[in-house]
Amino acid sequence: MNVFLAGLGLILAAGIGAALVRGTRARAGDAVYQILLIIGCITAGAAAGRVLALGAPLSLTIHGAMPGGDWVLGIDSLSAVFLLAILGVGAACAVFGTHDLAAERARGRRATWFTQLSFATLLAAIALVVAARTVVVFLGAWEVMAISSYVLIVAHHEEENVRRSGLIYLVATHTATLALFAMFATWDAAASSWSFDALAAAAPSLGPGATIAVLLLALVGFGFKAGFVPLHFWLPPAHAAAPSHVSALMSGIVIKTGIYGLLRVLLLLGGAPAWWGWLVLGLGVSSGVLGVLWALAQHDIKRLLAYHSVENIGIILMGIGVGALGVSYHAPVIAMLGFAGGLLHTVNHALFKSLLFLGSGAVYRATGTRNMEELGGLARRMPLTWLGFVIGAAAIIGVPPFNGFVSEWLVYQGLFSAGQTSEVSRLAILGIPALALISGLALACFTKVAGVVFLGTARTAHASDAIEIPRGNYLPALALAAACVTLGAMPALGIGLVSATVRELAGVGNVGLPAPVISGASMISLVALSTLALSTLLWLTRRALGRRWTARREPTWACAYDAPTPRMQYTSSSFAAPLLSIFGPLSGVRVERSTTAMRTHASDAVLDGVALPLWRRVHRAALRLRGLQQGRLHLYLLYVMAALLVLLGYLAFGSRP
Amino acid sequence: MTDSQSGVSFTALAVLLIAAPIIPGVASRTKAILTGRQGSPVWQLYADLWKLAQRGTVLSTRTTWIFQLAPVVLLATTIVAAALVPLDGRVSIVRFAGDAVAFAGVLGLGRFALSLAALDTGSSLEGMGASREVTFASLAEPGLFVAFATLGVIAHDFSLSAMLGDAAGRVGASGGAGPSLVMVALSVFALSLAECSRVPVDDPSTHLELTMVHEVMVLDHSGPDLAMILYAGALKLGLFSAILMNVLVAASGQGKWSFGGAAIAALVASFVGMGVSIGVVESIVARLRQPKVPLYLAGGSALALFGLILVLR
Repeated sequence: MNVFLAGLGLILAAGIGAALVRGTRARAGDAVYQILLIIGCITAGAAAGRVLALGAPLSLTIHGAMPGGDWVLGIDSLSAVFLLAILGVGAACAVFGTHDLAAERARGRRATWFTQLSFATLLAAIALVVAARTVVVFLGAWEVMAISSYVLIVAHHEEENVRRSGLIYLVATHTATLALFAMFATWDAAASSWSFDALAAAAPSLGPGATIAVLLLALVGFGFKAGFVPLHFWLPPAHAAAPSHVSALMSGIVIKTGIYGLLRVLLLLGGAPAWWGWLVLGLGVSSGVLGVLWALAQHDIKRLLAYHSVENIGIILMGIGVGALGVSYHAPVIAMLGFAGGLLHTVNHALFKSLLFLGSGAVYRATGTRNMEELGGLARRMPLTWLGFVIGAAAIIGVPPFNGFVSEWLVYQGLFSAGQTSEVSRLAILGIPALALISGLALACFTKVAGVVFLGTARTAHASDAIEIPRGNYLPALALAAACVTLGAMPALGIGLVSATVRELAGVGNVGLPAPVISGASMISLVALSTLALSTLLWLTRRALGRRWTARREPTWACAYDAPTPRMQYTSSSFAAPLLSIFGPLSGVRVERSTTAMRTHASDAVLDGVALPLWRRVHRAALRLRGLQQGRLHLYLLYVMAALLVLLGYLAFGSRP
Repeated sequence: MTDSQSGVSFTALAVLLIAAPIIPGVASRTKAILTGRQGSPVWQLYADLWKLAQRGTVLSTRTTWIFQLAPVVLLATTIVAAALVPLDGRVSIVRFAGDAVAFAGVLGLGRFALSLAALDTGSSLEGMGASREVTFASLAEPGLFVAFATLGVIAHDFSLSAMLGDAAGRVGASGGAGPSLVMVALSVFALSLAECSRVPVDDPSTHLELTMVHEVMVLDHSGPDLAMILYAGALKLGLFSAILMNVLVAASGQGKWSFGGAAIAALVASFVGMGVSIGVVESIVARLRQPKVPLYLAGGSALALFGLILVLR
């Protein structure tokens, strides 16, 4: 445990180092920052890895006159899985971000050290969230995480859009914290102290009403952070506004703390009733389908990726929902399949989503625009970025031999096994077509992104003048890509990583994962390897056939029209149009037609339809109170007098026994 | 799996690899006979593949490596998918719980690669084709999975070998799942027409780029690349005919043949049957207008869904 804390200390020291060594010595500061941060992540990660390897949880109690009683920290297998993802992705994002910030500094931005300091704080806070074992430490770390995220989101606060996104984020995150306060307060009323152990001990004595309240409040509080529909509305604007390496960490990791929270509550409560499982499964389905549908409608590459986070949180929730149903219907195999799928998808999504965000960051840095309609043909100009992006895209659409496939395969199996039971839980099998629709739409969407941004020819000068970012900068992203391929080609690795936690969540003690999963994992390796081997073989055959002739180079066939321009290419809007028109108003696309042009806008049904109108109404109501605040002293004295009189009247007449 | 069974599985795969190109030939021959035309011979696709393999390639100046890699990936993934399907009606070469997901997954990888290759050319026509292809595929996918889920519930196992092998037939006949199986068969046939780009969703014989779906995606491919794409298309037709045949056999309530030669004969018969059915459909049905295609796919999926509800009840 001390090793873990030392690691966190090093991460914080990295941020402070960057803050101290700045200005003209900023390059040295960058070096200090990267080295300390990487060593810190490795140190803390080693502690988490040890927990998983030995199966022995760590714990540390700090006694003393701390607020909220003793402070308890601990790492069990659930924390360890999240820690490995947090620290690995965090280090990759930090290294990528340092290069990004150095480029910004070269363009004259000063306070890059502040971004680095906040980033290190954020990383340490997330690690502390999953290691906290008392309410006070948990909520404290949660708030530090929320605030440092806000600071990072508004890093480019000179843009009005960014400030607005930051504000929406801040409101959403504090609503979430409020729900968490309420949840812990309800729960703690039955417990002897603020520690998680005491909460777990109090769980059986919670009344039915209190249990329902705790489960619903957890869903709201952690749900805002995880960002499932309809609590997602803050997520796309915030993730689009933040610097790319911050978006990568937020989408890959920060929203996963919501998933961590839900799983932790499940562990402490020792399972949830069936209605909660159905609710989570339903939220997962709606979040998955709507998330990917809204992603299709986007023009901004980072907003699009952010909506895909909503979609993937949906897939994760489907897994967790199936797992919870398995527990409540006493079907351990279903529970294990569901939780394994949900948890592994959490790890996988952390890897490929941060990879994709780093790719979009490289594109933004090279072109200065995030609008896909202005890009095109970047594969030639940015070959490494393209390689990383296309691997990430194949991973997120869930095709072998990439990692996204493995976790979706597990969720499918969970849904299917639920369908085999004789109880009402067999209705969960109807989630199968939903998941199939989600992955089908995701394939369409990523064909669109990868094709429109990287393939074809440049649509504007932004894209045609793009210069690949220096090779060293892109190494972190390539490391993430390698992890995606490794976990996809060797599913046993990923499944082994989560198996201890899955057993704990399913409440099955020392029983191993179901045998079909173990054998299936090795068969997926076989499928992956034979796909690779067969492709190589065919590629060599093709080369041998082609050797007799040299390939001729001609312009693309355009029905004999010989002056095609880049503007004639299919655009991202036209690519998505058939799918969006099928789903009609659900897709949230507004179309503006004039005699010469047609524009489509993507609007968010929840943000533009519910949250902002509600906000405006609250605002108007608050404005009506403004008349009370005139800033004149005699008025305030009058108020005080009036209040006193009312109180006196109450004492005189109201409180008569 | 015993050695003789595995021998039959590998033989069945070899038969698929050799005989699948006959399906489009049979389809066009059927069409020719029904419409009273001379028509091309049944082995036309073999001749085309042979010719294309000899030819050189023309590459668009705009394209990158993905354009050349895509046909290779498409063919490789189709062959891997074939290894997951019990072509002999009993067991597949590679089988595991949930291999149906892998089947859809590898086909998805091939489609992803080919759609990217289409966008790589920067041609508006090919972009349009890719857009339509992924649109229709993403709507066909849920239906296909419902069909798999129904078969899986009947067979009590989520692997293709159980769904399409013995188990479904045995349990289906005794458990009264016959109506479900018929619905699944109809649904699989409807969806396979979409998956394999045939009428009423797509028309491989159209000559106008604007009306094409699959064909327009591969406009710029030539020589061995085009041969690989055409061959992969024929293999996919063969895969779906094998799946359909097994569902129909299960629905008929007959037990499976125990003799390897009969399994191979049934596979070849399914190719001919698929070709003839496609030919008949293309002779009597016009292609749907594009906006109607989603309705057609939803209808096909709904059939499978009814089947699923019947067995869940």
